[in-house]
Amino acid sequence: MEEHVIVADGLNFSYEESTEGIADVNFTIEAGEVVLLTGNSGSGKSTLLKCLNGLIPTITEGDLSGMLSIEGEQYNKMKMHELNKMIGSVFQNPRSQFFTENTTAELVFPMENYGYTKEEMKARLAELTKAFGLEDLLNRNIFTLSSGERQMIALASAVTMKQKVLLFDEPSANLDYGNAMKLGGIIDRLKKRGYTIIVADHRFYYLNGIIDKVLFMDQGKLNLCNSEEAFKQGNYDTRSFDIFSIRLPFRGEESTGEEVARMEQVSYLDILKDVNLTLRKGEVTVLVGNNGAGKTTLAKALCNTIKPTSGTVWTGDLPFFIMQDPDYQLFGTSVYNELMLVKDDLPEIKKCLEYLGLTPYRHKHPFDLSGGQKQRLQIAMAMLCNRDLIIFDEPTSGLDVYSMQSVSKEVLKLKERAGILVISHDYEFIRHVANRIVFLSEGTVKEDFILEEATLPKLNQIYQQMQEEKCNEEVKN
Amino acid sequence: MNTKGFRLNPVVLILINIVAPSMYIFLPGKYLQYFLLAFALSVMLLAGSIKGFFGLLLVEGLFLAIFYGTIGVSSLEFLGLFFIVFAQSVPCVALAILLIKRYDSAELLSALETLHIPRVLVVAVTITLKYIPTFRREFSYIKESMRLRGISFTWKRPVKSFQYFIVPQLFRCSALAEEVSAAGLVKGIDAPIRRSSYFEQKFHVMDGIVLLVFIGGLVGGFVWKNM
Repeated sequence: MEEHVIVADGLNFSYEESTEGIADVNFTIEAGEVVLLTGNSGSGKSTLLKCLNGLIPTITEGDLSGMLSIEGEQYNKMKMHELNKMIGSVFQNPRSQFFTENTTAELVFPMENYGYTKEEMKARLAELTKAFGLEDLLNRNIFTLSSGERQMIALASAVTMKQKVLLFDEPSANLDYGNAMKLGGIIDRLKKRGYTIIVADHRFYYLNGIIDKVLFMDQGKLNLCNSEEAFKQGNYDTRSFDIFSIRLPFRGEESTGEEVARMEQVSYLDILKDVNLTLRKGEVTVLVGNNGAGKTTLAKALCNTIKPTSGTVWTGDLPFFIMQDPDYQLFGTSVYNELMLVKDDLPEIKKCLEYLGLTPYRHKHPFDLSGGQKQRLQIAMAMLCNRDLIIFDEPTSGLDVYSMQSVSKEVLKLKERAGILVISHDYEFIRHVANRIVFLSEGTVKEDFILEEATLPKLNQIYQQMQEEKCNEEVKN
Repeated sequence: MNTKGFRLNPVVLILINIVAPSMYIFLPGKYLQYFLLAFALSVMLLAGSIKGFFGLLLVEGLFLAIFYGTIGVSSLEFLGLFFIVFAQSVPCVALAILLIKRYDSAELLSALETLHIPRVLVVAVTITLKYIPTFRREFSYIKESMRLRGISFTWKRPVKSFQYFIVPQLFRCSALAEEVSAAGLVKGIDAPIRRSSYFEQKFHVMDGIVLLVFIGGLVGGFVWKNM
């Protein structure tokens, strides 16, 4: 009988402080399979992932029962360091991914922990460098790398110990479209080399056609699909497999609203070059482009965080900037208090909370909210703030399809009273909200058009181009 | 990892940092205070940290000025005593900062390992050290975010301002601690094997000289005390 790589038998976990968890999870994973682990926020997806990488029960406390084994060995009989010789983890968050700040140090870090000799380390480092094309990335500061480069280092460091099973935690959340597609290609090749790969993610377009099994979590229960086809035919919204086939109404029409921001011939170091851009009320402008194209820098220039090297930036008042990670933006002692800091108008705050479904949480501390609730709180702040320009930085990264749709609705409501600039590489979200597309590449505005039926091919072509940009890079390697 | 100036072996800096503060028990405070200041300043120069040199000088000067300024005034004396304790710890803190800034967490881990400190302690210390640069990065995001929200630090309402600043930080602590631990744990930081090091920390003549000067200074203190 063929031995399964991973077996879960009646796996249960419940947290000490929350009702979420997983119950009676059973599955097997065979060698060389690509497995997608997905489900809505709070479905138990992350819990199952943490069981697989051993962080449950090592760090996260709770009640674990049932059986989980890898290559015939039971998890509960192994220590973390034994488990991690078999299973490599790639986290989405650089904070949990990297222990050191230098790429070389990071790559040898696991080997040092396992007491390799210097010669062994040198030999393995050379192998990894060759296999992942890391020649230009050695001995660099990890925080100065691009997200795609960082992903390569993360991946290489996850297989330093020759692990044959790889776990990915929401890789698409921090990757642009081009890099996500590139990662899809890499996963496909790893699969052909015999690696077993488990990817936990809300978005899976980059895995189209290479999935063998889907672990779909729903309210702590597992629905197992034994093929990609079976998953596509299920009830879950899987349109995002083929993002370009989505049919949605166009928001169209050039806005004639009041001007809220203007950039004239703006350059910043070698990141932005002669950018011209006018933003108006009543319009959702989406800024697309691969990571490193200068999107965030452009937003920072609008917020007066950086002074352009040349050119002028004008905004009516300070824009309201909604960061990707809400945790940096919350300062209040309760949801109420948080919104009072924005605008001291109780009736309006109440209306806003009611509209966003946050009323039951009004006395909670903002940090006790779930990810989706925090984001709605940020949107509530944007609704109350009375500023003319609202900037969103990747508002849908890490959101499931349903939360993405609700954010779209809120963004469309916000544009009634403000100009909106969205930085996003989420194609589906863009199709929901965009009036206008601005394509930034190498610091210059390459395209700027109203999104409608006639210009849709243009947007699709931009996506094609972003993918090629990254994949050509790969060939170079 | 790349620095101008001489790169001291981190073991030397760690040793000094362990020994120096405890010497206040045995040696006259005034002597040790000025010796450690001079010593830390020299190390800063040796390591090529001009900013560290002047930073240390400035902070120490400020604390000493407060001490000498308040020492004669009976109502403020408690304040002076408070600051002299700070002043005495400044050189050690400066050396610790140098250690964290100049050395990667992996290098520190190896250095601690060579000192035969128990593994549990090594892991705990390294995770703490790794936490500091992470925190610093986070800090700048939060400052920027406060500006954009229009919540700024104002001396008119210091408590309120401080609260906005510190509460989110505290909340992030637990999340960060978990992430940092996860990063180490999935890479085998708990393996009960003697850790090896890719970055060999050679012991140079200069490391020896620095240690000798340090020991010489302490011995000098004992001699002075007994004179």
